[in-house]
Amino acid sequence: MNELWPTTDLDPVRRLHALAAGIRGAHVTEAHVDAPFERVWSLLGDLEGGFGQVVTDMERLRVVRRQGERVEALARSRYGMRARLRGVQRPGWCWLQSRFLLLGVAAAPDGDGTRVAFTGGVRVPGRAALVPLGVRVEGRRSLERLTALL
Amino acid sequence: MPDERRDDRTVRLVRAAQRGDTLAMAELLDLLAPYVGRVCAPIALDQAADAAQDALVAVFKSLRTLKDPAALHGWARAIAVREAVRTAHRAARALPADLNALPARGDPQLSADIRDVLDRLSPEHRAVLMLRDVEGLDERTAASLLGVRTGTVKSRLHRARDTFRKAWTS
Repeated sequence: MNELWPTTDLDPVRRLHALAAGIRGAHVTEAHVDAPFERVWSLLGDLEGGFGQVVTDMERLRVVRRQGERVEALARSRYGMRARLRGVQRPGWCWLQSRFLLLGVAAAPDGDGTRVAFTGGVRVPGRAALVPLGVRVEGRRSLERLTALL
Repeated sequence: MPDERRDDRTVRLVRAAQRGDTLAMAELLDLLAPYVGRVCAPIALDQAADAAQDALVAVFKSLRTLKDPAALHGWARAIAVREAVRTAHRAARALPADLNALPARGDPQLSADIRDVLDRLSPEHRAVLMLRDVEGLDERTAASLLGVRTGTVKSRLHRARDTFRKAWTS
């Protein structure tokens, strides 16, 4: 009868909060945007397009491998730095890390609009931690870029 | 997946997460979120999502302190029960009791009946019932998890079952 007991499934935005809580220095920027989930995720889920325009200072992001939800991408920042990002991407969820970089994005339907959340920054090697510089500003900028594109 | 292989994977993921691998943390989250949801929902009811989120926040904040990675689920269960009881009490204080809001009896769906019965129990009683009937724990383990004496669990269980039975057969 266990299947008759109530249960709950956390949406991706709640999951992002939980995960970020375990990463010292991480900050989650969350907001409601006035656009349907499908529209928002058509941008954020496009790793080689909208994602790079919204989330990072990446000049270019190229997916080099994809197996189910697992994804591997090469990124080059505007300042010439390169990163090999590995992670998981599914509707409403994208979590990518390289040796020095962490990027997390989540989205969930919220009425007629969408709740979105961003986290990430420069990783501290060997620890679940980020360099606590610019994490809030970057999240805010991601949100501004997303709103401008919608 | 056989239990042994699943356990090996869990241990590997916990160790990698404790070393700072956030991809391992994300995999652990996928593994734990449905389980924590099943533990929290019968206790926290309408606040289940808040309780499950708070529980997972607590899990990931203190993951580094978990000494035995194989004990992950039991450790997470203890945190989830604590957070769910706390969340349910917080909500009960915040909301005035509205007896008219109780679901009507005789709902044709059995799952709705379970929910109906759970609504009439205190968060602690719901926790005892869930630990016994969903998690299959014995009274002593349930008592130590809830931080109460075995006798207290027995009496809570007796009362919870009594309420459950009365509602079930009414």
